[in-house]
Amino acid sequence: MRALGAGIGLLLASPAAAQQAALLPPYAGVYQPKGVDEIGLWQEADEEERQLAASNLLIRDERLTGYVRSLLCDTVGADRCGAVRIYVIRAPMFNASMMPNGTMRVYSGLLLRVRNEAELATVLGHEFGHYESRHTLTAFKEQRSGTDAVAWMAVLTSFAATYQNVRSFQNFQLAVYGGFYRHGRDQEREADRLGIAYLNRSRLRPQEASAIWQHMMEEAEASASAKGLKKPNFRLIAFAASHPPYAERAGYLAALAAPDGADREDGADRYRAALAPFLGQFLDDQIKLNDFGASDYLIQNLATMGWTGTLWLKRGDLYRTRGNPRDLIAAAEFYANAVKLDPTLAEAHRGLGLSLMKTGRASEAVVPLQTYLTLRPDATDAGMIKMMIPGESK
Amino acid sequence: MKFNTLRVALALAAVATLSVPADAHKLAEKGKVVTVADSKLSITPTRDWNRLSGKVGKHAEAWTLDGEQLDEVTFYAAIEPGEALIRERSKKKEPLPKFRKDMLLAELPELLERTYRTGKDARDFQLSGATPGKFLGRDGVSFTYVVTDADGLTRKGEARAAIVDGRLYMVTFDAPRLHYFDLLAEDARALMASATL
Repeated sequence: MRALGAGIGLLLASPAAAQQAALLPPYAGVYQPKGVDEIGLWQEADEEERQLAASNLLIRDERLTGYVRSLLCDTVGADRCGAVRIYVIRAPMFNASMMPNGTMRVYSGLLLRVRNEAELATVLGHEFGHYESRHTLTAFKEQRSGTDAVAWMAVLTSFAATYQNVRSFQNFQLAVYGGFYRHGRDQEREADRLGIAYLNRSRLRPQEASAIWQHMMEEAEASASAKGLKKPNFRLIAFAASHPPYAERAGYLAALAAPDGADREDGADRYRAALAPFLGQFLDDQIKLNDFGASDYLIQNLATMGWTGTLWLKRGDLYRTRGNPRDLIAAAEFYANAVKLDPTLAEAHRGLGLSLMKTGRASEAVVPLQTYLTLRPDATDAGMIKMMIPGESK
Repeated sequence: MKFNTLRVALALAAVATLSVPADAHKLAEKGKVVTVADSKLSITPTRDWNRLSGKVGKHAEAWTLDGEQLDEVTFYAAIEPGEALIRERSKKKEPLPKFRKDMLLAELPELLERTYRTGKDARDFQLSGATPGKFLGRDGVSFTYVVTDADGLTRKGEARAAIVDGRLYMVTFDAPRLHYFDLLAEDARALMASATL
């Protein structure tokens, strides 16, 4: 057994022994990847990027993409951001990612959740940190040497497959796999530290970095509570967790934020203006996910900066589609609020009419449904709505 | 004795492999009436279709010509109030939208959209038309849509739905917008038109 251990020790040590000269940062000019591993990863990433650029889910809006890019450049510095290509994707999850070749994906669900430039810059800086530190490459090499070691250990164990040796092998395997996940989480922590370092140097308030994770915890609690699940544990680290838990991230980001940055601006007004043309669509993608608690939390969180017609409309849709009798009464009220703020919101008139119809007030429903048809004579469901109005031709 | 046992075993094995296992795909033959999704909903195909064995939901069944990724007709038959259209991955953690007794016909496309977004990870769903139409001899809704899944593939869809005795009956046809939808839409419409209760 001791001999086995020594053999494995040698196997593990060999890749680390190959020391390399310091590499250029991957964003430097027309950087060319070095070594088979990096070249291979970049080739794969290039192929994925070609598909991404042609995807139906890509939001091809020069202003929005340009806005995210300018925010990234403000945060990490104009010299660094030049090589990054930003793709905003229609996906209702809180996520962003960065490939080793400089492809940055920003999910619409992230844009819906962050509330100001400082929060978005935190995430962009974090992703850029992964890229700058070549995290994908390191993780790939670690996983290859780790799985190699497990494979060799399996061969060696099979020579003397006693109960004891097989159990040692299983422990070894678990330890190696656990190590991958732990290294992954350490990379996330490192990227968090880089992200907050960029933010500390920027013109934005670094204290907002921790606020993101506070909001994520509140959203997860709201979601769990509406589903009747028990409150999630935000400190627990699962074996296969890819990221550190929310509470830990909120804690160290708050501690690392530069105190002298506390009175800087957070860019909330500019952020809201840039997102405004997309807010309706992003919210719509969220409320249709059947996650009542999270959606209602997000709407109310957005409304802390003032209720708008769109916010009332989407809240109405959320309640109407859940569809309990009490929800329909609430939905009718929300739609009425929406119509009051913006009488041209056709969808709000439709929702109001449908909600009234379902709560036994069919006569009151006629006017809002007619208003919907007047505002949207060519609505895709005009025929269905007409059917509900007595006297309208079918 | 030993030889005999072997023969019996071999014979049993042959029977087991030759007879169609209960969960195999089946053929719905042209002109023969079949009932679908363990319900009274009867369909008379105008050409041969494959009935897929994989259970989409408790009261749902999928048919295809070239494979469900390329064209898929799904029958939702007698969905009861409080029931989801398709099988739920996790009733507690990822509940799917449920059919409700008080749903209006105009809301049925929304139910399908929310089911696609939650249960099938659709990222975009555009209703392209919804008109009143007869289905199963009752007042129903006939609607068309364009849906993009998480892989970015865009499909076109068409559906008929009606609520009969408080239960939802719906037939949908989904196929990639490129080539397949237009190629097979008429065959799918013929299936929908043949549906009776």
